[in-house]
Amino acid sequence: MALAHSPSVHTPVIVGGNRTPFAKAGGAYASASNSDLLTAAINGLVARFGLAGRRLDEVAAGAVLKHSRDFNLTREAVLGSALAPTTPAVDLQQACGTGLEAVIYIANKIALGQAEVGVGGGVDSASDAPITVSETLRRALLKANRARTLQQRLQAFSHVRPGHLAPVAPQVVEPRTGLSMGEHQAATTAAWGITREAQDKLAAASHHNLAAAWASGFFDDLVTPYLGVTQDTILRPDTSLEKLAALKPVFGDTMTAGNSTALTDGAAVVLLAEQGWAEANGLPALARVVDAQVAAVDHTGGDDLLLAPAHAVARLLARQGMGLEDFEVYELHEAFASTVLATLAAWESPEFCRDKLGLDAPLGPIDMDRLNVTGSSLAAGHPFAATGGRIVATLAKLLHERGTGARGLVSICAAGGQGVVAILEAV
Amino acid sequence: MPDRQVELLPAMPVLGPLFARALLPRIGRAPARVPTATAVVVGIQPDPDRLADYDRVCGFTLRDQVPPTWLHVLTFPLHLHLLGGPDSTIRLAGAVHVSNRMRLHRPVGGTEVLDAAVHIENLRPHRRGAQLDVVSELRVGEELVWDGVSTYLAPGAAVDGTPPNSGRTPFEPVHPIATWRLPPDLGRDYRRVSGDPNPIHTSRLTARAFGFARPIVHGMWTHARLLAALEPRLPEAYEIEATFARPVLLPGKVGAWWHEDAGVWTAAVTTPDGARPYLLATVRP
Repeated sequence: MALAHSPSVHTPVIVGGNRTPFAKAGGAYASASNSDLLTAAINGLVARFGLAGRRLDEVAAGAVLKHSRDFNLTREAVLGSALAPTTPAVDLQQACGTGLEAVIYIANKIALGQAEVGVGGGVDSASDAPITVSETLRRALLKANRARTLQQRLQAFSHVRPGHLAPVAPQVVEPRTGLSMGEHQAATTAAWGITREAQDKLAAASHHNLAAAWASGFFDDLVTPYLGVTQDTILRPDTSLEKLAALKPVFGDTMTAGNSTALTDGAAVVLLAEQGWAEANGLPALARVVDAQVAAVDHTGGDDLLLAPAHAVARLLARQGMGLEDFEVYELHEAFASTVLATLAAWESPEFCRDKLGLDAPLGPIDMDRLNVTGSSLAAGHPFAATGGRIVATLAKLLHERGTGARGLVSICAAGGQGVVAILEAV
Repeated sequence: MPDRQVELLPAMPVLGPLFARALLPRIGRAPARVPTATAVVVGIQPDPDRLADYDRVCGFTLRDQVPPTWLHVLTFPLHLHLLGGPDSTIRLAGAVHVSNRMRLHRPVGGTEVLDAAVHIENLRPHRRGAQLDVVSELRVGEELVWDGVSTYLAPGAAVDGTPPNSGRTPFEPVHPIATWRLPPDLGRDYRRVSGDPNPIHTSRLTARAFGFARPIVHGMWTHARLLAALEPRLPEAYEIEATFARPVLLPGKVGAWWHEDAGVWTAAVTTPDGARPYLLATVRP
């Protein structure tokens, strides 16, 4: 297999990864903050690759549900870790694309010679989510803070009613449509005619594949236990089509708690290095980051909210001169089972590929046996910004096992009608 | 160590009633006595929620390994138990915690089940009364994982002998690296996570009753907060020694300073200008 085109002089490679086991929100990590979780993931990576006291060029990570006090979340986690305190860090955020975008950020710096070694990843805690006050109360508090007299201070609260005192929890709602992600996806599911059976089948496969991977020890060098949790807690190894079929729909007619991701707590990070640097430092190189693409759809104009990756992949393949069939492994993030199935359907649709992607022919089907072979978000859970790091490290290891030149495709949909995709290739 | 009688307790004693007993004054100049037995509790179960709360109150990152100061907290009820017992003329309520030394022999996981053994030794004269050491050990099975020595001063207690010259620990003013603002309810927060119900920490009124203008923060909070600042840089096992120079009033503002030289950390919690110390600490591998 010919090596894919790469414009860079320097080759960014995935050295390895580390994550916490993912836990259902409100469970074992209920007391852990984003900072605690991210520090744990970084420290596990430090231990795995002997990085204690070392200064890395940069750590990039982020969280989707973020407290305002965590403006420097990643830098603070670095300072709480065993890395040298002189390691700089940056917070990135692109909704569920955050983790993958952070990996791309570090890979790009390595490719350009701006860094030799860095970490990309992300964290989210749905348990420790920032609760805020109502907008009316917030404005009143700010106004009262500016007030100079008692009268002004009291005046500031004149519009506040008892209902405004209730705390406000973050929601997964699109600001411009007022629809939740599940409601958006329900429309997509219906439009593409994705059946309940197909969704449940994908969900069952996710659980069974993840369970098999855990049983085989695949995650032994990808996960470090945290707070007594040794394995992803959402995983149901014994789930079945019958059990999934018994669940009531929560979005539309076909989307259930079984074929939609659950709110999850966790953190995942990936160690990247310039290939020569990794070699010189006695570190492994699993796969190189070949190329990446981000895209967005206009969901305010009627596009399917979570199908932006379909566009991103088309552009990425065109740039690389590749076809959709040129991959040994496909990692399509399972926001919902129907998101994956609708994306696959879009690539097979002559109309979609012609009208939306501007292609003469559909990108075509993929070999389903190469899809999410060690499970994905339906089974592992989906701590929003941590998912990218989980997938990249998993895919790099899978490709490395398949041998030099094996290629993999990562595809992650994100709120706001966005999608981030990337190609890795085993070295 | 001489062979000591073992007093096996069925569980860690509850602090409230113990403390009430520890408040009862012991009057008289009769020679001071302390219990000679070792108080033992086996099978201390993890309490992840309280540990997480403790970590937050003291500024620690929630890790798989617990801070050694948390292990002190776990043994503290036995300090009160021994010093509140009928064979003790010294009461912890009136005693002053003057210094503390603890060694973490290896990282201790938050889910490990621990056995505690605590005894008192080295009752000795002091120019203001008597000093004694409460020696605590925590084991996992046979393995000693942590031990600590808490030195208390019992003002007015009488012990035969000549008090040694105990000068103040010398202190050179420092330029604080950090400034910490201590909120008024910090004493109540630390009471919740430590279980130490001493009323001098929790309200102005009760603090006044003991001669303090305002509540004072628990010395072990100050100790833990300083350790939290250093923790990411410390090795897996270490010894930390702390001397409590003077109480910190709540609410308040303190300075913190630390310095590493050849693996040994010198650290202090000071007045905001760094001129006077509240707590001095040394950490060595």
